[in-house]
Amino acid sequence: MTPVAQIETLIARVARGDRGAFATLHDATGAQLFGVTMHILGNEAEAGEALQEVFVTVWHEAGQHRVNGLSPMAWLITLTRNQAVDRLRARRAGAADIDGAVDLADLTPGPGAQVATRPDAARMAACLATLDPDRADAVRCAYLEGESYAELASRFGLPLNTVRIWLRQGLLTLKDCLTS
Amino acid sequence: MLAAEYALGLLGADEARQFEQRLTGDPLLRAEYALWVEDLARMAGSVPAEPVPPAAFRAIEARLFPEERRSILARLGLWQSLAGAAAAGLLVLAVTELGWLATPPEPSLTVQIAAQIAAQDRSLILLARFDPASGALLVERQAGGMAAGRVQELWLIAEGAAPVSLGLVAAAGTTTLTLRADLAAMLGGAVLGGAVLAISDEPPGGSPTGQPTGAVLATGPVRQRM
Repeated sequence: MTPVAQIETLIARVARGDRGAFATLHDATGAQLFGVTMHILGNEAEAGEALQEVFVTVWHEAGQHRVNGLSPMAWLITLTRNQAVDRLRARRAGAADIDGAVDLADLTPGPGAQVATRPDAARMAACLATLDPDRADAVRCAYLEGESYAELASRFGLPLNTVRIWLRQGLLTLKDCLTS
Repeated sequence: MLAAEYALGLLGADEARQFEQRLTGDPLLRAEYALWVEDLARMAGSVPAEPVPPAAFRAIEARLFPEERRSILARLGLWQSLAGAAAAGLLVLAVTELGWLATPPEPSLTVQIAAQIAAQDRSLILLARFDPASGALLVERQAGGMAAGRVQELWLIAEGAAPVSLGLVAAAGTTTLTLRADLAAMLGGAVLGGAVLAISDEPPGGSPTGQPTGAVLATGPVRQRM
């Protein structure tokens, strides 16, 4: 069985309450997911808390990722990335009023979506390379650093009122490449 | 591009809520969003993995299953105080690569059943490995010895079941226990969830009753390794 199929099998067993499979899933994916939380949050304490939240969610919602239309690893990574970015944004907001901030952790498509698959794992990297470097970096910063449009504008020296159009052009190019 | 912006967390609160409402009624939009999520998640492949702190999984289990320690004792049916003993270390193996994130296909990995059976103060540690081909359980003593005039017996305690004896372990080195077919099937079988191996202190020849009679010296959850 390929590692991908093994992850799928483990998640299916976790959905049935198999704690041995849950432990094995943690062993198999924990380091990659902890790497993501460490990258985004930068310290072990918060990264560990985020990872714990992810696996608690995995235990309770293992049966739902197919309903949400996501492949198993994409589901795990998305949970992890969203959990870490939520915490990062809460930390940045500090004591300030964060009313209006979007809680990313529950951002899943909902029932009925087809399971998305892309056979070519390198396609995303290749398509990002077709963007101009700043726009490719902006996509990465938004995803892996949780940056907002305001932060992207600041980072790339763009006016606030044009950064969104600028990035959307990049996303359009990316989409054309990914779907070609 | 709203689906991509939403997946990147770039939409403000109002726009995000509007998008979510569109999602619930629009399967094509959900499919587009799912594809963006799949593609964006590939970028996580460029982030280096970090070893998870050793206590992290125990903390997750403690949060999800707070009654676990008591239920092990209840299952063992022993009333002795276990202040110095019981509770486990975990044997973990890291899977080094996930084929989904690397480009070439990965060879398949085999599953093994294993457990580290340890006293809480780690004065006694045994490593058990099950070989499905032979139906044998190899139990290696890694730390600690045996009290004079007593023996140590190994028990398999499946979830919700009474302890079943797997045999006596030697005072040193590796003991090979050939398991009964039904026990081998249980260990080699699919779902173990919650099974525990335990060592109890017994009179020479092992427990005369078929259930543990002496103190539980060490326990360890049974794990699947890939």
